[in-house]
Amino acid sequence: MAQKSFRQALNEALHFEMGRDPRVIMMGEDLTGGAGANGVKDAWGGPFGVTRGLLDAFGPERIRDTPISEAAFIGAAAGAALTGLRPIAEIMFVDFAGVCLDQIMNQAAKFRYMFGGRAKTPLVVRATYGAGSRSGSQHTQALYPIFTHIPGLKVVIPSTPYDAKGLLLQAIRDDDPVIFLEHKMLYDTVGEVPDGAYTIPFGEARVARDGKDVLIVAIGRMVQVAEEAARKLAAEGISACIIDPRTTSPLDEDTLLEFTETIGRVVIVDEANPRCGVAADISALLADKCFDALKAPIKLVTAPHSPVPYAPNLEDAYIPSADAVVKAATSIIKR
Amino acid sequence: MSSIEAVTVPKWGMTMTEGKITQWMVGEGGHVTRGQEILEIETTKVTNVVEAAATGTLRRIVLGEGTTAPVGALAGVIADAAATSEEIDAFIASYADRLGAGEEGEGGASAPRTIAVDGGVINVLEAGPESDETAVLLHGFGGDLSTWLFNQSALAENMRVVAVDLPGHGASSPIAGEDVFPKIVAAVDAAVEAVAPGRIHLVAHSFGGAVAAAIAAKRSSRVGSLTLIAPIGLSKQMSRDFLVDFVAVERRRPLLGVLERLFADPSKITSDMVEGTLRFKRLEGVPEALSAIADTIADDNGQLQSIAGQLRELTCPVTLLWGERDEIVPLPQAADLPENVRLRVIPAVGHMPQMEASSAANEAILENIQRG
Repeated sequence: MAQKSFRQALNEALHFEMGRDPRVIMMGEDLTGGAGANGVKDAWGGPFGVTRGLLDAFGPERIRDTPISEAAFIGAAAGAALTGLRPIAEIMFVDFAGVCLDQIMNQAAKFRYMFGGRAKTPLVVRATYGAGSRSGSQHTQALYPIFTHIPGLKVVIPSTPYDAKGLLLQAIRDDDPVIFLEHKMLYDTVGEVPDGAYTIPFGEARVARDGKDVLIVAIGRMVQVAEEAARKLAAEGISACIIDPRTTSPLDEDTLLEFTETIGRVVIVDEANPRCGVAADISALLADKCFDALKAPIKLVTAPHSPVPYAPNLEDAYIPSADAVVKAATSIIKR
Repeated sequence: MSSIEAVTVPKWGMTMTEGKITQWMVGEGGHVTRGQEILEIETTKVTNVVEAAATGTLRRIVLGEGTTAPVGALAGVIADAAATSEEIDAFIASYADRLGAGEEGEGGASAPRTIAVDGGVINVLEAGPESDETAVLLHGFGGDLSTWLFNQSALAENMRVVAVDLPGHGASSPIAGEDVFPKIVAAVDAAVEAVAPGRIHLVAHSFGGAVAAAIAAKRSSRVGSLTLIAPIGLSKQMSRDFLVDFVAVERRRPLLGVLERLFADPSKITSDMVEGTLRFKRLEGVPEALSAIADTIADDNGQLQSIAGQLRELTCPVTLLWGERDEIVPLPQAADLPENVRLRVIPAVGHMPQMEASSAANEAILENIQRG
């Protein structure tokens, strides 16, 4: 099967669905232009190369460059979704959601509920997230806990090229607003991606690795960290299972509970800040629903409660490491 | 003279490059008998056991439980009492060099290729040396050529072995329109003609058994032998539920429940096997194609295909292998079987004896091929 990058997988999904469904449009900053490109159209394929070729294939009516005005274009996209289109709006860095949170949180997320179930809002907001790219505190946060907290939003965080394509197709076809978060450091990762179309249902965790001694729960880029930790643990004779929830809303509680019941030792790795984060949320779920199955405390490996530092050495230290996961796992195995 | 034997990570299937040691069934210092199950290894597809190649003492475990190592890596050492510790150390030290200097690309995966036929392509994976005769492997409903993970390499030691993805499965195109079963037979027959123009030995599982029987009937003059593993078409009995559920389920947990019906020991199913099956079923068009094939296998009154007439006419050796605990296609009554057919029942396994009891299955398949 064809090996493709995370970026290519997303690009394929966008090409496929825009070709299949004329209601799908895109809006965002620099989708077709690009700073420093001297007016050359589609010079960079979007800020991260994900939208390459879409302008040529579908034209400026459907691939719309916007001013630097998230409040305006996210609002426009929410309204377009409400009135029959299926817009995909791109926020270059999820950190910029700060200026359009009302459109997302109070408008798009509430339409179905406030209009008595008679309104659909098939909106996808794509955004990059995550540390590691030396982009500074305002361009590197992992803000998915904020969106996960809001009922009416679905929150998708793919970890592999295969999942990126199938989850994005599902997001575009979904009738509710979806926040689709792409880790900047995953764009160049490569994996098997089928040429054909497929969708992955939301709320369906992936068992990324079988194991019996400790369960590591990880999302997005942290799945890679968990896999590196699992290899190190294997060398010490500890067999780690890895579960990637894929979506934090809806959350596949059944799979998390099933594996916690069986394994009894859990480490949760989360790149978000710890307070009210996804790790804390999943930990509370497991402690509440399967306390009796736990053989040791649930261990959380998260970023510290601080902004993402700009100094490269501090930024690296900020990101949860495989060694930290190994240490957490070992501490509860040896009890 | 001391004898020292290596226990290595085996190559189960063309695409296997590494395996994970999940369990040693014998401790260091334990006595082992040739053929005894000593080591459990997990691949991305399924967990299977390694049998001791020699009788002696398991003198050394080189790869501990939980370790992942490439195909061909030294996992342990069996030796008799005459071998000294120094000799064993030297053997282990020499083994690292031997692996590096081994056959080019032995651990690497070989690539399948597609063959153009009327209405699409058929995907095949070839293995083994060039030979006048070719073994052709046909999987069952919902499977693909990786069904033969534990068989193709073993069968390919002395002859060319071609595993085929049936239409609508793996990387082969689905069948469009009516007359699904005859079109499947025609597409597979055309692909087999293209890759194996000489004498062929057909080995087929479940639904593939009906396809193989139809091809054998058509090409009887050049079919050397037919080995059918739990084939459909020999009784009416079958639960249609398996087919319907397999097509319908979209999520991991329910699919695991369906796949567990295939095995006597469901713990052998890995998460990768479940995810791999989901990946296939998620592709657009696949559920519809599978549903059309399911409709040719059984309806609410039971099985729709009958192969007994075709088997009766064959002059080549025909062997049936059946798992004693098959809950998908139950073992038919002996009285319902044609007289020219030999039946071998493999104890304690379900509908997938080629996976659950790969050594016994390989032995039976090779024996039938040698008769032909």
